[in-house]
Amino acid sequence: MDEIISLKKVDYSYYGKIPALKNINLSVKKGEMFSIIGLNGSGKSTLLHLINALIFPDAGEVLFDGNNLTERSLKDESFGLNFRQRMGYIFQNPDIQLFCPTVFDELLFGPLQLNLPLEIAHERAEQTLSYLSIGYLRDRPVYMLSGGEKKRVAIASVLTMNPDVLLVDEPLSSLDPKTQTFFIELLLELNHAGKTIVFTTHQLDLIEHLQPRVAVLSDEHTIQKTGTASEILNDEELLISVNLIHEHIHKHGGEEHKHFHSHYVFHKH
Amino acid sequence: MQSRIPSYLLQSGNENFQPGNTKRSKLSFLDRTILNSANAVKSIYLQGENGAKDGLIQKINPHIKLISLIYMAVVISFVNEVTSQIILTIFIFSGYLVARLKILEVYRKIFFLAFIFGFLVVFPASLNVISPGKIIFNLISFNKPSHFWIYNIPENVGFTENGIKVVTLIFLRVLNSVSFAFLVVYTTPFPSFIKSFKIIGVPDTFLMIITLAYKFIFILSRTIEETYFALKSRLNGNIRDSALRKLISGRVFFIFKKAATIYENTYFAMVSRGYNGSVKLHSQYHFNLMDFVALTIVFAVGLIVLLFYPA
Repeated sequence: MDEIISLKKVDYSYYGKIPALKNINLSVKKGEMFSIIGLNGSGKSTLLHLINALIFPDAGEVLFDGNNLTERSLKDESFGLNFRQRMGYIFQNPDIQLFCPTVFDELLFGPLQLNLPLEIAHERAEQTLSYLSIGYLRDRPVYMLSGGEKKRVAIASVLTMNPDVLLVDEPLSSLDPKTQTFFIELLLELNHAGKTIVFTTHQLDLIEHLQPRVAVLSDEHTIQKTGTASEILNDEELLISVNLIHEHIHKHGGEEHKHFHSHYVFHKH
Repeated sequence: MQSRIPSYLLQSGNENFQPGNTKRSKLSFLDRTILNSANAVKSIYLQGENGAKDGLIQKINPHIKLISLIYMAVVISFVNEVTSQIILTIFIFSGYLVARLKILEVYRKIFFLAFIFGFLVVFPASLNVISPGKIIFNLISFNKPSHFWIYNIPENVGFTENGIKVVTLIFLRVLNSVSFAFLVVYTTPFPSFIKSFKIIGVPDTFLMIITLAYKFIFILSRTIEETYFALKSRLNGNIRDSALRKLISGRVFFIFKKAATIYENTYFAMVSRGYNGSVKLHSQYHFNLMDFVALTIVFAVGLIVLLFYPA
């Protein structure tokens, strides 16, 4: 598989003072399912912002399909349009992602910005509404949706652009179990359809479900290890060191006890 | 297993708390202010949604409604005859009947606005102090005429025919303008109404800014309401004014910061989907027979009052 995203020695800090990412090196291949895991504040979302060229590194390079992503390169209209079309970003908070008057406008926004003819944009929007079973929301204002509906619309608004790469920030955050299942199956289906998926999470069960290649971000904002899902999930020492599993009290029937515990993977007694 | 829970949490009740005094809670003014403003925002937001359910007027294309609104505003301001204004009042009222809106509820708001801006403000113009003419109802009589500031106060002060006509005309103008505007607003979902401005050449970027501002009003009003509930759940009202002011100003700053973060991230979300400085919004330009019929009726009524009842 060819490399589609590559980060080389990337550093990023907020206001030049608060370090968010240090010496990040990673690569994602075309059609791959890739996950960045780490605690809140470890820099996962910042990393996705960098990959989507919304912010630019203090040092190092971010490459997309071999092209360096810089403010200058994105000012080239043809390259900028091509890049935005090929990479879609689903934000963690759908409230900030939905800004158009209605759901249908939301689905048309990306394609129309990227100069897709109106008829094709319409057709895509209708097909996506049907695919995600949200046809009944078509003309509703976006601020009148429930949390799960907003998330579906946020996904739909990116899918209408038909991106090659989907960046998904915390896919399951604030979703009910049914919508979580829907989202997991959707990500798998899109990946099988050839889309490259890069997502962030701190939920190890999602890694178990989707079996992506994983990069582990530490509290020090560096990549601690990259490997397959099973390599990472079976490295108990690593997960303890980055605080993704920890010692806590829980109950089994009537018995209450305390030990290192991950709800989905590790459970040694 | 050794518990680290503080000892006070293991006791029930709070014996050490001093009972409060019987004075009224100072949070009551917050109750009124915050909840009323939150409810006002919510009602504006819901009115278009409620109005969009059924009814003939609701089915008319928003572009036609906007053109009609502009046309009627011109007609209402040009017509100088009370009879013509009454014809327009009846015409607009019939629109409400066709739209099947909650007439009493809506007209209460309309009459309130018309009373304030169309009657109370211009009421003195009905007196002969401002509108000279034959007095038809004497209010007060003085021994002799006098002069006060820029006004000549005549011996007899009362309502003049001309004055009453002026006040009635202004009242009806305000009533008609407000009621027609409300009819359009109440029967059109806000997003469609905003997009209809495209037809008069308002740029997409400007419409997008209005839409975003509108959306953030609701996000922020919800935040304010929730912050208020959190405050209320922890305070019993016996709090010094200065402390309360400090608390509220702190919350205002928090909301400002939150708004700034939301704006920044929304901008990122727009850039990520191809925004490069100009917005392309799609607007529905398909008109049907009913749209043309509605437009014809509005134009015909406007022409009738302009041509057959000239000033």
